[in-house]
Amino acid sequence: MTQFLSELVRIVERKPIPSEATMLHGLPDVGLVGLIATSHIISQLKLTEIAYVDSDLLPPVVVLHEGLPHAPFRIFGNIELIATISEMAIPAAAIQPIMRALVDWGQSKKMRTMISIGGMPTPERQDIIEPKVFGAASTMSLLNTLSAKGVEILREGYMVGPYALIMRYCAERNLPAIALLAQSYYNYPDPEAAAVAIKELSKITELKIDVSKLLEKGEEIRLKARDVMKRTQRELTRMKKSQEYDLPLYV
Amino acid sequence: MSRRRKRPIFELMSEYMEDFEMMAEELIESAVVERPTWDVRSKCLEPLRNVFVTADEVIVTADLPYAEPETVKVEAISRDLIEIAAKMKREIRFHDFGITHRKGEFSSFRCQTRIPVPVDTKRMEIRFKRGVLEVHLPRKRGYPIRVK
Repeated sequence: MTQFLSELVRIVERKPIPSEATMLHGLPDVGLVGLIATSHIISQLKLTEIAYVDSDLLPPVVVLHEGLPHAPFRIFGNIELIATISEMAIPAAAIQPIMRALVDWGQSKKMRTMISIGGMPTPERQDIIEPKVFGAASTMSLLNTLSAKGVEILREGYMVGPYALIMRYCAERNLPAIALLAQSYYNYPDPEAAAVAIKELSKITELKIDVSKLLEKGEEIRLKARDVMKRTQRELTRMKKSQEYDLPLYV
Repeated sequence: MSRRRKRPIFELMSEYMEDFEMMAEELIESAVVERPTWDVRSKCLEPLRNVFVTADEVIVTADLPYAEPETVKVEAISRDLIEIAAKMKREIRFHDFGITHRKGEFSSFRCQTRIPVPVDTKRMEIRFKRGVLEVHLPRKRGYPIRVK
């Protein structure tokens, strides 16, 4: 068992970690889009648990699956793909050190690209049948690649929360990072938005994931995800997520 | 000598209010024992919901997956309280979520929501689309103040 240590966060590796893999992030955020999408990808590709994130900044929680304890914040993977998910809301106060540690860890493992899947709060979401997905990137060349592959670019606006920090830390170090943000409900679990985000992901990666099961189970997921959504909403309020509705000022 | 930038009073007030709301929420969280979002005795689940206040109306939304559209009901309990209820298309058991250490099934949604500003509940309008309920409550108007 290897431990990757930062000041406040440790990433405990339970299996060998591939290098030069693509790293997906599916963390609790608006509409739980990233968490739902990444959990679906993990189950479709049968990725196995390879590491977990531990920190004194996280609540004292363990999640039981088939009777066995697991850290709620885990990293799954195969030889080409690594995926992080958290089955519990991440406290706003813990976001910065954890995201910094994840980016440090990804950099040490020479990850090819970090891709964050998330939601973009959209007040009129109820009237949108097929949500749009917008992309952001840490470097100009990556932004051009997204554009060339038909991803609509998020040109002006604020990003708030874990993905904002991944983007910032990666940009500082010139590491390739992408965020795919699907129009979604703010505080209702949104499997439809997760499905379109996965489809968009297939435009920029080799991943071909069937989303039919995800859409079929949409209502069940919405019901099951209520409690995680409720706790996530509290943290979103603490990190002032509603700032994403604001117009940025750059004269 | 550097001069402190004067900030608009509304900006300051809005920041104070946000901080105050956060403190109040934390105080309530620490004082009140959290209830589960389900009640086995009444077979009810508490839906996720939102309240938006605009210049003209208050919009309450609720996420009601599995709700039978014809059974969705919104009732004004008092001037500032509404109750949302709906029957589900099928009973959901703990077992359906892989939970075996609890017993019980749920057949409906129910919650009460407080409305933060005066509204005209008689003119309430309801819309239910793709599992999300939207309740529009027109705000009560005061009297206009003339600008001199």
